[in-house]
Amino acid sequence: MRLAWAFFSRDAAIALSYRFSFAAQLFGNFLLVGLLYFVSKTAGLDHVPALKAYGGSFMAFVLIGVALTDCVLVSLVSFAQQVRESQTTGTLEATLISPVPLPLILIYSTLWSYFLSAIRFVLYLIAGAALGSLNMSTINVPASIVIFFLTVCSFLGLGILWAGIVLLIKRGEALMGLLSIVVMLLSGMLFPITVLPGWLQFLAGLVPLTTALEAMRMAVLRGTDLSQLGTLLLKLSAFAVVLLAAGFWGFHWAVKLGRRNGSLTEY
Amino acid sequence: MKVIEAKDVVKRYGGVFRRKHDTATRPALNGVSFSIERGETVGLLGPNGAGKTTLLKILSTLIELDTGSVKVLGHDLSRDPEAVRRQLGLVTCDERSFYWRLTGRQNLRFFAELYRVPAEAAKRRIDELFETLGLTEAADHTYHTYSTGMRQKMAIGRGLLASPDLVLFDEPTRSLDPLSAHNIRDWIIGERRRNPVTTRLVATNQLHEAERLCDRVLIVNRGEIIADGTIAEIRRRFEACQHTVHRILCRGDVGGLVATDRALGIVSLETEAGDEEDTMWISLRAVRNSEALTFVLQRVLANGARVEQCQTQQAPLDEIFISLVIEDRNSRDLVPA
Repeated sequence: MRLAWAFFSRDAAIALSYRFSFAAQLFGNFLLVGLLYFVSKTAGLDHVPALKAYGGSFMAFVLIGVALTDCVLVSLVSFAQQVRESQTTGTLEATLISPVPLPLILIYSTLWSYFLSAIRFVLYLIAGAALGSLNMSTINVPASIVIFFLTVCSFLGLGILWAGIVLLIKRGEALMGLLSIVVMLLSGMLFPITVLPGWLQFLAGLVPLTTALEAMRMAVLRGTDLSQLGTLLLKLSAFAVVLLAAGFWGFHWAVKLGRRNGSLTEY
Repeated sequence: MKVIEAKDVVKRYGGVFRRKHDTATRPALNGVSFSIERGETVGLLGPNGAGKTTLLKILSTLIELDTGSVKVLGHDLSRDPEAVRRQLGLVTCDERSFYWRLTGRQNLRFFAELYRVPAEAAKRRIDELFETLGLTEAADHTYHTYSTGMRQKMAIGRGLLASPDLVLFDEPTRSLDPLSAHNIRDWIIGERRRNPVTTRLVATNQLHEAERLCDRVLIVNRGEIIADGTIAEIRRRFEACQHTVHRILCRGDVGGLVATDRALGIVSLETEAGDEEDTMWISLRAVRNSEALTFVLQRVLANGARVEQCQTQQAPLDEIFISLVIEDRNSRDLVPA
């Protein structure tokens, strides 16, 4: 725990030293909330039949999508960003020669980002309530926490795997940007996946965020409890186990290869 | 007790995820073998690209060797790298390797956590290091306000934070002004006295630095060790087959001296006026153990001049280093591929 705290306080101190960037990171996304709110009002999207299963409010539907995708993007981007930043700033070499295993260094290095993401998640819900789109009393809090945790675990694995790839190929931003858009498109972040053609719906089922969003919307918008979310939670747990295993294995392999070909600290 | 024991270490860069032009044609290390005893301070000398950094990176577990074996503090580097890391400190000259927005103290506290130094012990050790490195006043200033010399001291502080049994120094005074470099060297010498059981390997391009800091030097060229011994031993070996320079201060007329005479062992002989009137310096470069000096002195005395001083100069380490490297290069170039 002391080690985790050391990483967390290091990143907090660094983030807070860039005040404007920190404020933008925390509140910047609320401009998007405003944008979506007015789009929803203008287009009268609250009466779309596809949204009936989720309570009918487009704004509430999208807020959950944006909030959980924010957390997923932390996983997809943060790990690789940490690796890349520490390669270019030279701190990777200094941490690599310490006795702490590299995957642990990587996970601890993202604690601050996850903490901020969790705060933003709550702020999104508060914004939704303030705009009258979300009823806070219907939220099933325990189910929401479990789903949030399983979503983090699923994408943690993917993020670690991606960090391993960045360790070797060095620059993966463009590819990750593309992958993020694919995930956002297929997961139903802004619309229900039932509007997608059948073959895209099949592919959407392979993206963990689709399951996570479905479960989270049930828990937050309908107040569904854990026992009723059994199948979705099982699927999400399976994603978490498989992706975490793949992430750790892939990262271990990438580090081994980097040590062998001497490219680990190059950038 | 041997702290480092390297046998036939070979390392070649290249392989998967390497572009074709990143792959070197010759190995970075080619059959390197050496050992270092506990408490020794050993210099690792060599021209740029000789393989010094590769060797340090292997020893600090940042890269893996291709073949051969290395034992550090009794642990096999390939099998148990984490055990090695627990007892190892690395001092690099890379000033970027700290968190620039944190203070010096926050930086060292973070690295102390990585080495699992207990909180109270870490606090004491950090204070002690700031004190001995002369950084106490700047300890709570952000790292980006530090001068290059202070950053280098921070790197030393980080390397010694967990009181490691083995410290690897990678060019500890590179890019420092002469005064800061002098201070760092003095500090390392003091540290040797304070911790005589700690083993140190110092990679440097500065030969006088190696001469001041080290008990022994390893000279690396093109991935191979071409000399291993104390500086005195290497000098003796070098001088046994090289020339000696004599400087003779004479008063009076030295007459016409023979410029060169190979039969007598004279390689070159030059004269220049001395500081005082009627004095003259003779510089004689001669084959070692030849009759040259006797011959020149006899000629001077026979001419009625007086010998006031006669100095035999030691070959400077720079000259030995350059000769060894050139000799090694020439001998390899003669070998058909």
